[in-house]
Amino acid sequence: MAEIVRVRDLRKTFRVLDRRPGLSGSLLNLVAPRHHEIRAVEGVSFDLQPGDLVGYLGPNGAGKSTTIKVLTGLLVPSGGEVRARGMTPWAERERYVRGIGAVFGNRTTLWWDLPVIDSLELLEPMYEIPRERFTRNLKEFSELLDLGPFLDTPVRSLSLGQRMRADLCAALLHEPELVFLDEPTIGLDVVAKEAIRQFIRHVNRERGVTMLLTTHDLSDVERLCERVMILDHGRLLYDGTLLELNARFESNWTLKVDFDEEYRDASLPGLQPPLREGRQAIYSFDHRALPSAEVIQALLARFKIADLEVRRPPLEETIRRIYAQKLLLP
Amino acid sequence: MARSLRLYFRLLSIQLRSQMTFRISFWIDMLTTGLLNVSYFASTYLVLERFGNIAGWTIAELAFIYGMAEISFGLMDMIFSGFDPDWFSNFVRQGALDQLLLRPVNLFAQLFGSRFLLRRLGRILQGALVLAYAFANLPVAWTAPKLAYLPLVIISQIVAMGALFMMGSTLIIWTIQPIEAVNIITYGGVEMMSYPASIYSTWLRGLFTYLVPLVFLNYYPALFFLDRPDPLGFPVFAPFLAPAAAGVMLWLALRFWHFGLTHYQSTGT
Amino acid sequence: MRFFLRIIKLSLLQQTTYRAALAAGLATNFVFGLLRAAVVAALYNSQETVNGLPLQAALTYIAIGQAMIAFLFLFGGYDLMMTVYSGSIAADLVRPVSIFTLWMGRDIGKALVNLVVRGLVLLLVFSLFYPLILPDSPAAWLWTVVSLLLAWLISYAWRFLINVTSFWTPDARGLGRAAFTASQVFSGFLIPLRLYPDWVGQLSQHTPFPAMFNTSLEVYLGLLQGPALWRALINQAAWALGLSLLCFLLLRLGLRRLVIQGG
Repeated sequence: MAEIVRVRDLRKTFRVLDRRPGLSGSLLNLVAPRHHEIRAVEGVSFDLQPGDLVGYLGPNGAGKSTTIKVLTGLLVPSGGEVRARGMTPWAERERYVRGIGAVFGNRTTLWWDLPVIDSLELLEPMYEIPRERFTRNLKEFSELLDLGPFLDTPVRSLSLGQRMRADLCAALLHEPELVFLDEPTIGLDVVAKEAIRQFIRHVNRERGVTMLLTTHDLSDVERLCERVMILDHGRLLYDGTLLELNARFESNWTLKVDFDEEYRDASLPGLQPPLREGRQAIYSFDHRALPSAEVIQALLARFKIADLEVRRPPLEETIRRIYAQKLLLP
Repeated sequence: MARSLRLYFRLLSIQLRSQMTFRISFWIDMLTTGLLNVSYFASTYLVLERFGNIAGWTIAELAFIYGMAEISFGLMDMIFSGFDPDWFSNFVRQGALDQLLLRPVNLFAQLFGSRFLLRRLGRILQGALVLAYAFANLPVAWTAPKLAYLPLVIISQIVAMGALFMMGSTLIIWTIQPIEAVNIITYGGVEMMSYPASIYSTWLRGLFTYLVPLVFLNYYPALFFLDRPDPLGFPVFAPFLAPAAAGVMLWLALRFWHFGLTHYQSTGT
Repeated sequence: MRFFLRIIKLSLLQQTTYRAALAAGLATNFVFGLLRAAVVAALYNSQETVNGLPLQAALTYIAIGQAMIAFLFLFGGYDLMMTVYSGSIAADLVRPVSIFTLWMGRDIGKALVNLVVRGLVLLLVFSLFYPLILPDSPAAWLWTVVSLLLAWLISYAWRFLINVTSFWTPDARGLGRAAFTASQVFSGFLIPLRLYPDWVGQLSQHTPFPAMFNTSLEVYLGLLQGPALWRALINQAAWALGLSLLCFLLLRLGLRRLVIQGG
């Protein structure tokens, strides 16, 4: 199956002017400017298959937005090969952009002063969407995203959640095959986030739209993506499924126990002493070495237990450990 | 091409609609701007009354070049307002240029269509009034060639000054902040063009002849329209260089813009 | 008082960071000065003096005009009304100082920087192109300084008044544009008032505008002597006082309205 996005050894280096302070500094900058280099992306390679819904993670400054800018045709890379939809994005901008969509969490793609519906209607001639397809999509998305109540409201008066839903609709009306979502749930409340996630999943499943999702909210990733890519300092540290990520790195599980009696010493051999508070104890163990069943059996053998709860670490903690300890240094 | 034009007009109508929704303040705005500009001319007129003429140009003759410059600048300001460096710098800083690049439409059509200031009509109308006064009071024979060349000159002026705006905006891709020097050339330029070029010192006039050829856009054509002799000794065809001057400036502006855009796409600001 | 001085100092320091803007302003003023001077010189043609204003004096007038625009804020200002509209005026209202005084302090800081950087530097540059007239006695210098200070005060009060209307109308900006154009024309900034027909001069005497600019320049150029000089200075002082009182009054009324309405 032909991939829809193909990135090979993508490199992007920025030359930044050294800013020197003061008046003399500005003068010096004019005559003898000095630069330093920022390597935003250093040799990133990956493929996206049609219908993929992939999470693109990394700390701030990792190079995520640079990659997205290259893939949307806004930025020309310093090196490497990029093919998407069979084209080189920045070289054939108008043709390429016709088949992609983009949603940005921090700014809207709609016209600020216009009612939502006017903005959306403008997309029809812009993307040359056949009239009946446009109407059909608009109706469907409008229902799914519940845009009805605010279709006539100017974009500047919308709440964040409303604006995000409108932007999502706008990004998909022309039925792009490839969509980039840059922090689509940022700043939203739980209910709004869920609505957006459901919509994204629906579009991906029903219409087979390939999506690249950049986010800092790892619950988005857990709910939507099977596959994730982790970027740090311009390098791709991980490209694989979430399952495998957890299996390899998710080590620190905890077991919360409520005892039936008071125990002075509740430690288990081979395990760290638990955190104690009255009849409660919390045990930590390395899940890769010790399945939870073994720990539970050991506990049941020694103590009288009233209640038991096994906790996996949130994805966030796993990822944090990966960033911090650079567990995936290639 | 046709598609871009259609989209441009569609964007324009959106601009106009949203500007006309603030009904009363729109008219007040236009009125005040018009009055503003009228008062500027009125003050020049009043002073001229006392002196009778300036450098041998009568009030009516002055009204002619003044009115031409005003009408053209007003029209340019209205049409090219998307390229106004002061506004463009905000635009780029907010990342809006990227938004335009993400759409499958010609960038120019979008930029021109992103801003169209109807309230500039005030200045345009004022220019028209001043020009009307000139026509009413000039003892000049308006032959067919003159009448044919007149709109061409106005268009040339619009294009030339629009080119300056465009160059000023292109600079912003490197400097982020608008460069005041550009404002001096555009606003200073229209001020300079409003009076006969013969009153300026040699080097100042040279600046606006050889560096930014605004002298060929208003003064020289005016010599032709008003049947006046040329005190500066330029070749006989000088009055007809206006479209050429505008064309050259536009060409330079477009090349520079293209260069700037390529740079933008390789640095992403 | 110390607080007031502190405000001035802060404003001053803040202005010095806008180096690029200052340089840009300088360049603009310089070019426009050259253009206007050319127009005036062409007008004079071969005449030596017009309505008591010699050509030299007229050219000096234009040069000083450009040098002083920034100091006298002749293009107006919309800062105060912007804080009213955005609501950030709340921060100022908490201070134990009158808004009038607070903004005056800020204005003085800016004015001082503009005076030195744009004013004096520009004068030096202009003097390279045109022979500029200088006051011929220490007394003349003294009166010029007094007159300029009064002019600045009048300009400040006028700007304050216009901005204060923002307490009542959402479109003070439009009003400002009209008002500041009037002040540019009738203050003699565009063209020395003496070059206009007499009726214009007479009409503008009923407005504070000539006192904002034209008067000070005539003092500088030595066109006003003896009783005429006194009359001019007293005229300026009267306008300064009158407008300031009006400011206090309107500010009082406006604030009351603001507090009641809830902004």
